[in-house]
Amino acid sequence: MLNKLMKLATVASLAFAGATSAQAQDEGVLGEIKARDSLLCTGHNGSYLGFAEVDAQGEWQGFDIEMCRALATAILGSPDKAQIIPISWAQRFPAIQSGDIDVIIKVTGWTMTRDTELGLQYSRPYFIGPFYVMSRSDLSAESISDLAGGVFCVNAGTTVERVLADYMETNGIEYQPLSFEKGEELRAALYAGRCDAIAGFGPFLSSTRVNAPNPDDFTIIGDVIKLEPEGIVVRQGEDDFLDVINWMVTALLLAEENGITSENVDEMKANPPSATVERLLGVTPGVGTRLGLQDDWAYNVIKTVGNYGQIYDRTVGDGSRYKLPRGLNNLWNNGGLLYPLVLD
Amino acid sequence: MTTLFTSQKFRRTAVQVMFVTVVVLLILAMIIVGRTNIADQGIATGFGFLNQTTGWPVSFSLTDVGPRSTYTQVLFAGLLNTLLVGFMTLFFATLLGLFLALMRISSNSLMKLVGTTYVEVFRNVPVILQVFFWYAILTHLPGPRQAYSLADMAFFSNRGLMLPAPSLSGLDIVLFLIGCVAIGFGLKSFKFKKTGLRLPLAILAAVALFVVLLMTGREADVALWSVPELKGLRFVGGVSLKPEFSALLIGLTLFGASYIGEIIRGGLISVDKGKLEAGSALGMSSFQINRYIRIPLAFRAMLPSLSNQYVWLMKGTTVGIAIGYPDYFAIVSTSINQSGQTMELLALLMGGFIVVNYSIGFAMNLLNSRLKLKGRS
Repeated sequence: MLNKLMKLATVASLAFAGATSAQAQDEGVLGEIKARDSLLCTGHNGSYLGFAEVDAQGEWQGFDIEMCRALATAILGSPDKAQIIPISWAQRFPAIQSGDIDVIIKVTGWTMTRDTELGLQYSRPYFIGPFYVMSRSDLSAESISDLAGGVFCVNAGTTVERVLADYMETNGIEYQPLSFEKGEELRAALYAGRCDAIAGFGPFLSSTRVNAPNPDDFTIIGDVIKLEPEGIVVRQGEDDFLDVINWMVTALLLAEENGITSENVDEMKANPPSATVERLLGVTPGVGTRLGLQDDWAYNVIKTVGNYGQIYDRTVGDGSRYKLPRGLNNLWNNGGLLYPLVLD
Repeated sequence: MTTLFTSQKFRRTAVQVMFVTVVVLLILAMIIVGRTNIADQGIATGFGFLNQTTGWPVSFSLTDVGPRSTYTQVLFAGLLNTLLVGFMTLFFATLLGLFLALMRISSNSLMKLVGTTYVEVFRNVPVILQVFFWYAILTHLPGPRQAYSLADMAFFSNRGLMLPAPSLSGLDIVLFLIGCVAIGFGLKSFKFKKTGLRLPLAILAAVALFVVLLMTGREADVALWSVPELKGLRFVGGVSLKPEFSALLIGLTLFGASYIGEIIRGGLISVDKGKLEAGSALGMSSFQINRYIRIPLAFRAMLPSLSNQYVWLMKGTTVGIAIGYPDYFAIVSTSINQSGQTMELLALLMGGFIVVNYSIGFAMNLLNSRLKLKGRS
């Protein structure tokens, strides 16, 4: 009887999990991605402006989307092999646990619960997210305490909800919270005047302001309430895949540090200025084989999506309509917090 | 042996036993597979997280919850929010529905037209759109500093409707409710020579109780009435109806009333005309005919579909998540995101709704069997 039950359970588990789980035991998700010849990456259920949004041509654009494309290029050689799956904030963890997606690149804060209890693991931060408060200009608030008693709107289920509660409690400021499931509803409520202020990730606030009927109606208050490191998330135990992701981020940063752009990468490859650049662009072998990739993967990534600075500039920085300053997301030698790992 | 297989009774029983066994085995297999898969992925399971603090606030709750409350407390607050808006919706939608039904069956063609138009419009627009519509209207009102005010006592702005309220403590309110029920029962068992006195007497007793509670047991410097007052960015004092709550209540009520109205209308026209004629032959007024013949008979006919509709409306409160009302569904959704305990929280979500909806169904069934025509009809 018990034996039969176990058999039944095995059959059922195959039916539930499909063939993917059997494969996963052999090669891990990296093998799956190669076999499938596409990377299943996170999109958004609406838009998270600057990070994941759909443009007028119906194409996904944004910082996170570019990171997905860079990763797809590193593994599979082409940015078009990144398949963007629309997904809500709340869905992203169940989706990766069930194998509907391979990786979460969705400005996801590195928290202890997520890291330890959800069977997930994080890459080193690819983005430094400062949290600010943006208020209505007509309240002429200069610090967050000037907004005491006001209505603060946030996205439900995000770290902002907790970070703001912490900050307000620590500083003894009373406030009325209001949380919305979708960014669109949050913005509509802010523009209508239901909220006195919204708290959030700097990029989100500046994009919210850009899209306001009158951007001057809103002011971002200077107080940084919290700094959140955003990492790329994979399932626990996918160490090989995580290595590829960490080195992909390093390649983007190294390229910027060494002045390699998508325009001059060919020139650099033909005439490398240093031994590190030589290794990075695959002139001397090693950068690929050690990760189970082609030796020219970093070259391909830089050629197609550019270096970290180029991606930033194009999606959220000065080259975009959001004009978000680099700030702490600059390289270490420009006053920021980002630095590449050592490529030896 | 052969007789056993040719026995119809045995075969029927055997098939039933086999069917139940297969279903039970399937469910067991699903649970085992689910647990193994979750364990394989290294996800923490179990309901231990319910005792952890949430770290996030809830914008509206009847109980006192904050970032330091546990998941249990926050989930309970969410369930209360659902029940609050749900039962208020049921009450108002039924009242409005009754009114609509009476309009539609009246002989006045203008009333008929208004009733029919209402039902057709509100029944055919998805409920979420209606809720969005009311929410947009309520949030596009002027801000708190430019609020519409009524004699500086009540204020209406995009932060909601602020009303003055008597300074009653929670205990006072409980006592008042208990007192009202007691007054009701007391007067019911009391025999009056003139029955017309009963209602005014009940109201008088309730008001007296209210005044007594208001005057007693208060600290010296607390005013009898708490009046809303603009302080900085918000109104302090009084009671407030938040736009999220109001929009959900209005949207669901207007939507639900169109369905309930149709159910009531169906019940009313199902009453045999002969019985109404019998009433008028006895010299009853049209009010008496409605009160003693038509409504009791119609009520029996519409009870089954009405309880169905009630259960449906209670589930409809889940659209609150779209406009930021922290109902049970919204709280569970946020909890899933913050704690990652998807399976457990989904189970709690389903469990909560099953309990609430089963209770409604159970109460309605009880009512149905009490009202059922005994013997010949």
